[in-house]
Amino acid sequence: MSTGGEKGSTGGGGEKGSGGGSSVKTPADFLKSIRGCPVVVKLNSGVDYRGILACLDGYMNIAMEQTEEYVNGQLKNKYGDAFIRGNNVLYISTSKRTLAEGA
Amino acid sequence: MATEEEIAVKEPLDLIRLSLDERIYVKLRSDRELRGKLHAYDQHLNMILGDMEEVVTSVEIDDETYEEIVRTTRRTIPYLFVRGDGVILVSPPLRTV
Repeated sequence: MSTGGEKGSTGGGGEKGSGGGSSVKTPADFLKSIRGCPVVVKLNSGVDYRGILACLDGYMNIAMEQTEEYVNGQLKNKYGDAFIRGNNVLYISTSKRTLAEGA
Repeated sequence: MATEEEIAVKEPLDLIRLSLDERIYVKLRSDRELRGKLHAYDQHLNMILGDMEEVVTSVEIDDETYEEIVRTTRRTIPYLFVRGDGVILVSPPLRTV
């Protein structure tokens, strides 16, 4: 059993060996835990959106701040706030994007 | 286990509600973009937009030169119902161009 994490988690019945800091049990728990984190949202169309996750719901509708739109890897647009309809979302991933702004 | 009161503290749809009666930018499928005033919306993201401009973007590739020709077609519509399943993204309009 390779946990591969920084913390030596003893496991105790963890079905997923995810490398997250907190123990995540279900996708719903994951969704609750990532609010406020910088995320990457990929749509079915292949377009990428990177920003800070403000909130989301069970349909995977997403509200993000400081959103940047990447098409084919190129930055195309920036949005102060963005709401994305959940049916377009392919995945939501956390990223270790360093926030350039902020005091 | 605590009671399930904290499920949806804020929903994304609640934040759209803040944009009611404001001008918004909507990205639709088929490379369409709308800018207009949001009069109403629902959970499907069906929307009523007023004083709206639609921009349709099409890219043609020349067979010989392989140049990409980007064309935009615009039209203005005073009042429009948008079906929600075509909506991709909703945002306040970009202030700084």
